[in-house]
Amino acid sequence: MSVETLQSTFEMHQSMNVEVFYWWCTAIMFMIHAGFLAYEIGASRVKNALTSGMKNILTLSVIIPTFYFFGWWIYNAFPNGFIPIDASAALPWSTSMGPDVTDMGTGIFFAAFALFGATTGSILSGAVIERIRLSAFLILAAILGSAVWILAGAWGWHPDGWLLTELGYHDVGASGVVHAVAGFFALGVLMNLGARVGKFKDGVAMYIPPHNLPMSLIGLMMIIVGFFGFLGGCIIFNGGDTGWTTIYGNPTNLSAFAFNTLMGFAGGVLGAYMTSREPFWTMSGGLGGIISVAAGLDLYYPGLAFVVAASGGALMPIIGRLVDKLGVDDAVGAVAVHGFCGLYGVVMVGVFCAGYPNVGDLPPISFSGQLLGAVIMALVGFIPGWGISYVMKKMSMLRVPPHVEVLGLDLVEIPAKPYPETVPANAVVENTLKPGQENQLA
Amino acid sequence: MSSPITTWEGASAVFTFADSPMGIAISLAAAVGIYLYLNLSIMKHEKDAFDKHK
Repeated sequence: MSVETLQSTFEMHQSMNVEVFYWWCTAIMFMIHAGFLAYEIGASRVKNALTSGMKNILTLSVIIPTFYFFGWWIYNAFPNGFIPIDASAALPWSTSMGPDVTDMGTGIFFAAFALFGATTGSILSGAVIERIRLSAFLILAAILGSAVWILAGAWGWHPDGWLLTELGYHDVGASGVVHAVAGFFALGVLMNLGARVGKFKDGVAMYIPPHNLPMSLIGLMMIIVGFFGFLGGCIIFNGGDTGWTTIYGNPTNLSAFAFNTLMGFAGGVLGAYMTSREPFWTMSGGLGGIISVAAGLDLYYPGLAFVVAASGGALMPIIGRLVDKLGVDDAVGAVAVHGFCGLYGVVMVGVFCAGYPNVGDLPPISFSGQLLGAVIMALVGFIPGWGISYVMKKMSMLRVPPHVEVLGLDLVEIPAKPYPETVPANAVVENTLKPGQENQLA
Repeated sequence: MSSPITTWEGASAVFTFADSPMGIAISLAAAVGIYLYLNLSIMKHEKDAFDKHK
């Protein structure tokens, strides 16, 4: 075999390894959505269980095509701000956007990014359960998952993004561009959507218990499993002698991510337990801890990652209670887990990693750059979330009617029952029917 | 004919209609149409269901 043939074979195997790596990252990311499915069904009351599940299933199925239609183009076209650059290869009618036997990268990166986008939709999904219209939610999810977060991604999670080139912004595991953006988008929507009937009494937040807390806990653990695909997808497998780099081009490896992902999970769980003693928040602490350290996975000393995650996890339930006190009904704590911990993660990189260089002539990481980046992430999420949901609210498109909310969305919208042999749907609503409505339970 | 190739020698983009802008446009328009119709059909389903349970 000639040297040229060996070289060609070696390069082909390198390209195949890249594809294989992201293929499995994408597959593992589906576990995030299996987790959100279980988590949100469990967090709902019985009368809304299947509607919450249906919302999750459809979230994936609207974000994937819309991300193909325009999301991938947005990422490639807007690294400079609001003025697009030429990214015609990312348009859906480009020959790059389909099976090409000479292109072993575009499809697999598109897939990973589409699943990142679907994660943002699922973050929104949990916050708004039990009273949002499915139609409104799917429009909002498509906007968040295929436009809003990916614009933030183009700015702060792109080799040429202006947050990197101007501020030295560092967010390798997407604390800001995915979690903070989605969490603050959800906050904007929640402010217009309003609380579930019965959530607040005389201005005091009531506890609406999940109908199946064990299912929610298992779902949260499944999301943690999916995070390994998500974070794996955040690292760049270059092949050749470059090896692994972050999306910003600095060298790193999966070992760095492994140290700090695990320490982040553990720290977050322990921190949340210390300030809540409650299983839902404790398990959510695993997510909050990982999100708190995700922005600096490549740089933290693992002991410091544990401290950052524990403090983020400890603050998270407190932020959740504050959101309650402000009269915002966030059914699963998405604003605290994703919004707060996402911001916290970005800012903590500014606190502890300021001075680290970026590659080439790019500015180094700085506290001011991270702080400004965090503010931008919050605004990029909040402004469209609030604005679009405000318009929907004015058009009476956002929320189900009160009688539907009282009856339960499953009975009204879903031609199936979650637990037909143990908890008949009419057992849930029999005391809320008006005369003459009994036949509608069949 | 949806095939853009007649041989695998030197092939690159091999998907259906890769060499036919009209074929891509019709396929893409149909895909977008399905997505838009989904939204309209959910809105109609919601209206019917909500009215039925008034």
